[in-house]
Amino acid sequence: MPQFEQVSVFGSLIFWSVISFAILFFMLKKYAFPPILAALDDREKKIRGDIEASEKLKQDVGKIKIDLEEKLAAAHGKAETIVQLAQDEAKKLQEKMVQETEAKVKQVQREAEQEIQSSRNKLLQEIRSYAAALTIASTEKFLKKALDDSDKKRLVDESIEQVIQELEKNHQN
Amino acid sequence: MESPLHHFEVHTLIPIHIGGLDLSINNAVVAMWVGLAVIGGMFILPARKGLSLVPGKLQSVLEIAMEFIRNLVYEFIGEEEGRKYVPFIASLFLFILACNLIGLLPGSYTITSQLVVTGVFATGIFIMTMIIGFSKHGLHFFGILVPPGIPKILIPVLIPIEIISMIARPISLAVRLFANMTAGHTVLAVLFGLAMTGPLWLGWLPFGFTVVINGLEIAIAFIQAYIFTTLTCVYIGDVIKLH
Repeated sequence: MPQFEQVSVFGSLIFWSVISFAILFFMLKKYAFPPILAALDDREKKIRGDIEASEKLKQDVGKIKIDLEEKLAAAHGKAETIVQLAQDEAKKLQEKMVQETEAKVKQVQREAEQEIQSSRNKLLQEIRSYAAALTIASTEKFLKKALDDSDKKRLVDESIEQVIQELEKNHQN
Repeated sequence: MESPLHHFEVHTLIPIHIGGLDLSINNAVVAMWVGLAVIGGMFILPARKGLSLVPGKLQSVLEIAMEFIRNLVYEFIGEEEGRKYVPFIASLFLFILACNLIGLLPGSYTITSQLVVTGVFATGIFIMTMIIGFSKHGLHFFGILVPPGIPKILIPVLIPIEIISMIARPISLAVRLFANMTAGHTVLAVLFGLAMTGPLWLGWLPFGFTVVINGLEIAIAFIQAYIFTTLTCVYIGDVIKLH
């Protein structure tokens, strides 16, 4: 095998391979590895930082969500209370108005009834007074002279006519 | 027919002799330089140009490679101790990978198919682990030869076994890489030889196999680089943790 037979080249092979490896090692160590390893570390840090930041954001969002939900629930409760209050108020108002209206109607009814009653009383009073006057007048005439039936009838008619005239006169006044 | 081992021969291109040493530049060294230039350029140029937070295709490849090697180091050596070994392990992986891959190009040379080269690297790593062990633990480092929890009576038996297993480590490391690279290329050369020498109605069959074996060789280039660096991490991790 040439690897064991060409003893003369061993020196140069060993020398150049060791020297070349040393140069490669120092070149890579100086120029290549630090930036590459730094880039790896930077990315790792950045990814870790980003993940942590996103976790924190997630937690914050969760907190905000819970907060908002609580606020929303509170707002719903408040709104319901307000609506309930408004409904109660409206009911009260309605009942009050109904009561007032009923009272007013009753008042008007009472007043009307009173007026009717007073008008009726007045009318009855008038009828009574005129009937008395009529009776007195008729009786006067009967007593003054005995009269035949036609005269009686005529006299009654005259009395009635006189009473009606007086009534009309009174009404006109 | 040409020997299937012919392409493992090294040809001197620029003769250099310093003192009694032959430091000539040959085809193996040039092929290695081409491979290292490609992999070095691939890593250094984008890194010098500036890397973006959102990586492009090449940057993604570089980052995946570095992350892969870094995780490998952290797994076997530990994150705190392993941090300073990442550049060395990454360079070692890329060096072996570049040498393995460039050798797959026709007319090129796989310097990792030279046992002296893999041997030097394996020995260097072995010496390095010894230095790390002694500098970290002092004389307690000899404790690595005594596995924990064994009866004291067995210690005299176990210490030679442990010493042998320690010495076997660099040998196996070197031979594994050398043998894999040599075997793969030899198989390819044999199949090519068959394809070229046989008649056309028969020659297509070994030629077809070379295509498949070539694909396999690319995988082996990666796997062997991975195994070499993984074992290096394991050995460094062992001397740091002492079992």
